[in-house]
Amino acid sequence: MRDTGFGAIYWTVRIAPHLVIFAALLTLWEVAVAQGWITSIMIPRPSKIGAAIANLYVIKGTIWEHFFITLGEAVFGFLIGAVVAILLALFSSLSERFERYVSPYAVVLNVTPGIALTPLIIAWFGYGMGSKIALAAVICFFPIFVNTLTGLRQMDPDREELFRSLGASNRQVFFKARVPAALPLMFAGMKIGLTTALIGAVVAEFAQATAGVGVLMARASFALDMAGSLAALLSMTLMGLLLFYGMELLDDRVVFWRREARMSAVSRARAKAWKARRGQRDEKNNMGGETK
Amino acid sequence: MTPEGARLKWRRRGNHAAIFLGLMALWQTGSWTGFLDPLFFPAPLDILASFWRIYVTQGNIWYHLYVSLGLVLAGFTMGSILGVGLGAVVGMNATVRRFLQPYVIVLEATPRIAVAPLLIAALGFGPQSKIAIIMLVCFFAPFINTLSGVLNVNRDRMELMRSLGASKMQVLRKLVLPDAIPVIMAGERLAMTSALSGVLVAEFIQRDQGIGALILTYTRNLNMASAFACILTLTAIGFLIFKGMEMVDHHVAYWKNEAGLKRMTEKRARAFAARRGGLAHA
Amino acid sequence: MNMIAREVETQMSKGGEGAGIVISGRGVGKTFANGAVVALEGASFDIPKGDFVSLVGPSGCGKSTLLRMVAGLIERTAGTLTVHGEPVKGPRRDVGLMFQKATLLDWRTSLENVLLPTEMVRKPTKADEEEAIELLNMVGLKDFVFSFPSQLSGGMQQRVALARLLKTGADILLLDEPFGALDEFTRERLNIELMRIVAEVKATTLFVTHNIGEAIFLADKVMVMTPRPGRLAKMVEVPFARPRPAELQLTPEFNALVAEVRDILGTH
Repeated sequence: MRDTGFGAIYWTVRIAPHLVIFAALLTLWEVAVAQGWITSIMIPRPSKIGAAIANLYVIKGTIWEHFFITLGEAVFGFLIGAVVAILLALFSSLSERFERYVSPYAVVLNVTPGIALTPLIIAWFGYGMGSKIALAAVICFFPIFVNTLTGLRQMDPDREELFRSLGASNRQVFFKARVPAALPLMFAGMKIGLTTALIGAVVAEFAQATAGVGVLMARASFALDMAGSLAALLSMTLMGLLLFYGMELLDDRVVFWRREARMSAVSRARAKAWKARRGQRDEKNNMGGETK
Repeated sequence: MTPEGARLKWRRRGNHAAIFLGLMALWQTGSWTGFLDPLFFPAPLDILASFWRIYVTQGNIWYHLYVSLGLVLAGFTMGSILGVGLGAVVGMNATVRRFLQPYVIVLEATPRIAVAPLLIAALGFGPQSKIAIIMLVCFFAPFINTLSGVLNVNRDRMELMRSLGASKMQVLRKLVLPDAIPVIMAGERLAMTSALSGVLVAEFIQRDQGIGALILTYTRNLNMASAFACILTLTAIGFLIFKGMEMVDHHVAYWKNEAGLKRMTEKRARAFAARRGGLAHA
Repeated sequence: MNMIAREVETQMSKGGEGAGIVISGRGVGKTFANGAVVALEGASFDIPKGDFVSLVGPSGCGKSTLLRMVAGLIERTAGTLTVHGEPVKGPRRDVGLMFQKATLLDWRTSLENVLLPTEMVRKPTKADEEEAIELLNMVGLKDFVFSFPSQLSGGMQQRVALARLLKTGADILLLDEPFGALDEFTRERLNIELMRIVAEVKATTLFVTHNIGEAIFLADKVMVMTPRPGRLAKMVEVPFARPRPAELQLTPEFNALVAEVRDILGTH
């Protein structure tokens, strides 16, 4: 086990210079506005932005409801889009005919800028969360579909040969060889999809909504409250980071063989489980009174 | 392709067309009988009629297309060139890169299109804020890709250049830049698709003119057939852009595709022959 | 141990730049990771002009490391190393390199790849182009002058690399298993071509390989190197006259030499 003390010092040393520079920049910015070097009302003081953030998050706490609404829209939209995309990709990889009939429509969907569908989707699903989820789902569909399909189509001739020689059925080859091999690409597609879903949710909110971080930003912008607007933007950054790293974590856990540290951890866990199972078996043997 | 192969191809295309027309027929019937809600499923014939109207009789789409695509072109050109330029500069400079790294990560996580209302408020309604939005959206992918391309130069090739005594400028011109071209092109293609989305979002918010505003207006007036026609126009444009960028990519990064290799081989051989006036080899 | 010391002494007494020696090393050593890994220890040798010298040994004996040090690509941590009488400080234009990977630039034709070294110094002239095409002809790529690397097989790419090496006009050639990634037949053919070219150009050559037969067949002298730690065990003279037919490898004299080298390697 690594000594946590050393780890903490190491990270502090690495982050410190960045923090110092950042603080210096903020101070410079603050001074520039205060002294009147920058006069545009478009560039607010960092202290005002900070105040807006504090206001939104702590003092009035107004943002939390909106934050989770937008986050929810993105996540649900993503889930719907991902499930449909993965299922379609699965069927496409299993049946060439299915793929041939589906792919022209998928290509059409790909070339059309999904954002163009925003007014339509709002007209169809109304002003509530439904339209945001729908747009998110539509927009994130294609990257996930194409990546999963490419992943499933990957054919390693040596591996196929191995499975055939072991007498594996088509289904076994598919689930034991093709699917695991496709996981890295699938997750790559999902990472793109998740970010895209957030964009979909936010853009739909710009167009028409009553709640969500996008709405907050639009309102603040039109009231020329730049500090508030930037605070909303930073919230979106926070959301983006959360979603991205959440997906990274999932990726690391599921596709564990891509990263050294995780792979070793799984290795150790399986060794431990094996020992535990053997211990139980030995115990059972002993209790049965059998001699070794 | 064998004659059987060609026949199969055409038969398949026939199948696709038949299925498509069959679906359209079903759809049209559904609309006529009132079974399908025209809000969700405007009749195909109505959509065709709308095409005719907006392109020919009324011809209003042309102006809006001209406006939107003009902005896309302007914003894309400026944004992506800026992205490539800065990507190259940052890539070559290690200290700058270290310094910028956290900001790039934060920028990457932010949905860049979300800055649209902010820019509109800051720069006012009108084409200037639209171009700013498009530039912002088009900047990122080329920047990241150029950065990556410049950083990830093949180590063996770097050693080769070093062993030949190449100067830094020579390494940049003869190795780093050509090597990075495929990734940079990939970034440009991404930027192009983002540009189209960018102008649409800007127009949704500003609602003044352009194809995004047109779609918005038609939808608000529940003229779904015309809205569909506009969206299908965008599909066609998207397709043209896709194919266009693919052609440019194949041309610029010629060594990554079969056709490009063949074309360049012939071109270089012919150029050489021209220089020598006949003393050429194969 | 005594035998090695004697060998080294003989080398050193023969040494000195005056005797037409182009490459000279005394106690050359290289360690990595602050002394934790000893790649090469105390190698001393002199290589006269025009000699073809093989470096042979199992992995870990430091042969590639030594080659790269002569090439000026890595710095030595001990000893002195001179090329043409000057201490090695970095890559030199009169020293040409060829590695197991051809490392051609994908976006350049064979002709342009061969001209790459020339471009470092000046804009290639018509004469340069003619020479490059001549070289490509010489290595058997007459019909592939305007082809791109991805259109060529591994063996053909290595031949382009060879032509590029020869274009430098370097009189010292350093090759690290240049044909190692190719099949046996291509390798044999290219080795014979290499010998012919080297004799024609009158270059001093260092050739790294792990194949004892190949090392002896190609060279005038064989530097036998042993691992753990990497060390120059012995410099063996190869007395066979040139040009050498492939059948030489079947003769008892040849095989006796192979056995001797194997013996030196075996005692470690």
